[in-house]
Amino acid sequence: MNIGIPRALLYFDYFPMWQTFLNYLGFSIIISPPTTKDILNIGVSLCVDDACLPVKLFHGHVAYLKEKVDVIFVPRLVSVAPGEFICPKFIGLPEMIKNSIENLPPLLIFNYNLYKGIRDKKDAFDDLGRQLGVSSSHVDRAYKEAISRQYIYEAMIESGQNPLAILHPKEKWDKLDYSKGVIGIIAHPYLVCDRYISMDIAKKIRDKGYDVRISANVPQTIRENNLETMPKRLFWSYGRNLLGSGIEWLKGNEVDGIIFLSSFGCGIDSFIEELIRRYNARQLRLPYAVFTIDEHSGQAGFDTRLEAFLDMLEWRCKDGYNFSPYGYDVYSSKSSIR
Amino acid sequence: MVITFPHMGTMYIPVKALFDELGINIVIPPRISKRTLEVGLKCCPEMACLPLKVTIGNYVESIKRGADTIVLSGSCGPCRFGYYGVVQKEILRDLGYDVEIVILDPPREGIKEFWERVKKITGNSPLYKGLRAINKAFKVCEETERLLKLVLQKRCREVYKGDTDRTFNRFEDKIRSVKGAQGILECIQETRKQLENIKVDNNKKPIKVGLVGEIYTIIEPYVNLNIEKRLGDMGVEVHREMSVDGWVKYHLAPDIKFRRKQKQILESSKDYLGLCIGGHAWETVAHTLNYSREGMDGIIQILPFGCMPEIVAESILPTIAKEECIPIMTLVVDELTGEAGYQTRLEAFVDLLHLERSRRENEFGKVLSWN
Ligand code: SF4
Ligand code: SF4
Repeated sequence: MNIGIPRALLYFDYFPMWQTFLNYLGFSIIISPPTTKDILNIGVSLCVDDACLPVKLFHGHVAYLKEKVDVIFVPRLVSVAPGEFICPKFIGLPEMIKNSIENLPPLLIFNYNLYKGIRDKKDAFDDLGRQLGVSSSHVDRAYKEAISRQYIYEAMIESGQNPLAILHPKEKWDKLDYSKGVIGIIAHPYLVCDRYISMDIAKKIRDKGYDVRISANVPQTIRENNLETMPKRLFWSYGRNLLGSGIEWLKGNEVDGIIFLSSFGCGIDSFIEELIRRYNARQLRLPYAVFTIDEHSGQAGFDTRLEAFLDMLEWRCKDGYNFSPYGYDVYSSKSSIR
Repeated sequence: MVITFPHMGTMYIPVKALFDELGINIVIPPRISKRTLEVGLKCCPEMACLPLKVTIGNYVESIKRGADTIVLSGSCGPCRFGYYGVVQKEILRDLGYDVEIVILDPPREGIKEFWERVKKITGNSPLYKGLRAINKAFKVCEETERLLKLVLQKRCREVYKGDTDRTFNRFEDKIRSVKGAQGILECIQETRKQLENIKVDNNKKPIKVGLVGEIYTIIEPYVNLNIEKRLGDMGVEVHREMSVDGWVKYHLAPDIKFRRKQKQILESSKDYLGLCIGGHAWETVAHTLNYSREGMDGIIQILPFGCMPEIVAESILPTIAKEECIPIMTLVVDELTGEAGYQTRLEAFVDLLHLERSRRENEFGKVLSWN
């Protein structure tokens, strides 16, 4: 039996885990190809207009797979950490797919919900095993394997590698021999790791001589630490990743400039971006830019803005920190964000 | 301490009753207007959901009138509503308003925290007094909702156009200056009588439309461009399950019967959506199903632009429309929604419902004559 996995959304976070599990049980996997214009267009035409770009894209990948495989793997991740949620759209993803795309093969739904506690982790796999009709002892072993694979994957990302490079060794990033600085990209993995919809931003920046770090590269413990001081517990896991890494970079030690890559219509990004922008304005005023992408974003306009941002960064690095492009004296601002 | 709170339809009435009883000073934000929204537009992230933008306008307008503490209810995900308070606090701070924001999270997030926050508001008034005040506020809440439901029934049947709205507007003008739960209740009773005396056409069989969607957008007339009135004026009877009263009964007051019924409705939609995904998307799907089975002519879903959970619901509704054979329209509102286009869409939809109904009646007639 061929299982299709759409190369979108949580693929970039959990693929090693899924792959190991399913392969171990003897199923073969077909992944949809990297995003192309056609896939995106199909997704846009199938999905409701008001959805965000990544969700539309997911529809496109599912549509691509639907005639080529026997079942399609659709994750329903309610929560990936106790007491936290991810976006409402992830929770309703299987429903959105079912109601928007016709003639689907059966869906293999991965119900992952750790809201009540980490102990529930295995339930999702047991459930998968049941749907696939494999014995529970098999599932147990596959589960162990999958978890350890995932663990390694996450550790590799935290050590500074690009998820895309781990999944596809061809895309490996080496540290630049000579780099002008480091740029932090705050973004969901499924945006920045999709070279098509992210307009290949990471590569473009690297071509200009800057090293790139993404949110997932900031180790989780550090991210969590940074969120301790929030007046109210932030309950979106993805929001935590973005904000936690953002706050780390705002301290100014690790990166020289920050880019917030968000998708049009994303509710979570809009909140996190707002907080980071305000914190930055109260603190070091690092060069900061927001790039919002949607299905109509033009390549040309995007490139121009990116170049302008990098130019500004260069001036600022060259002239030291004794003047600020915003017209404020950088040193007089308050040193605490709260 | 002068407390203020965000607007949501007529929620200010029970809230006022509550604080009046507790003897706490409040500022009721001025009615939402274009100016309110402008404040929000200026200082909020563009992608934020509409309720955030409007409520921040409420706060600023209230602060200018002397409020220094903002009370709002919170929740802990998955939707953005739960994080409103934090973001709004930062925005207000940068605007230069140093106010306290008290977020009342549901007690399950930490009962101690909850108590401390409640105490912050109530100060040292004794417990029994607090409980009594809450009890009265519940009563007011219930009565207000009954009044609103009556308005919905009368408006589409009234003989002289505008009678209902005139009565209700008079009520809203008056209620702001009434003090105490007792006074408010009396005022409601009085209006109720007046409404009941409105001359209606009892033979009329109005088109029935069920309203579903995001709670704030449904309840706050300013953001939904007064959809209830627009439909009512077209002679449409509006049904809406979503209400402040319902929210209170479900989340705060342990009204077991009410909860059980709601749970049942939710469960019945299992085939389409079987779990809470945040916001009120599950309710949207469940109520849609329920309405179509209760014999509504059509259903309107209404949501603010970018509302995450409702978008999931939106993608499920077409399937229900097909399987239950009921017209469903989705309206997305944002700060740019134009009145003319909105009205046209509503009119077109109502026309469609009339057509459908007469078609159904014709078919029915045919069936009868065959026999
Ligand atoms: S987190 Fe944002 S981008 Fe991701 S699915 Fe949710 S709304 Fe879309
Ligand atoms: S339900 Fe919709 S409008 Fe309400 S907070 Fe969530 S996204 Fe915003």
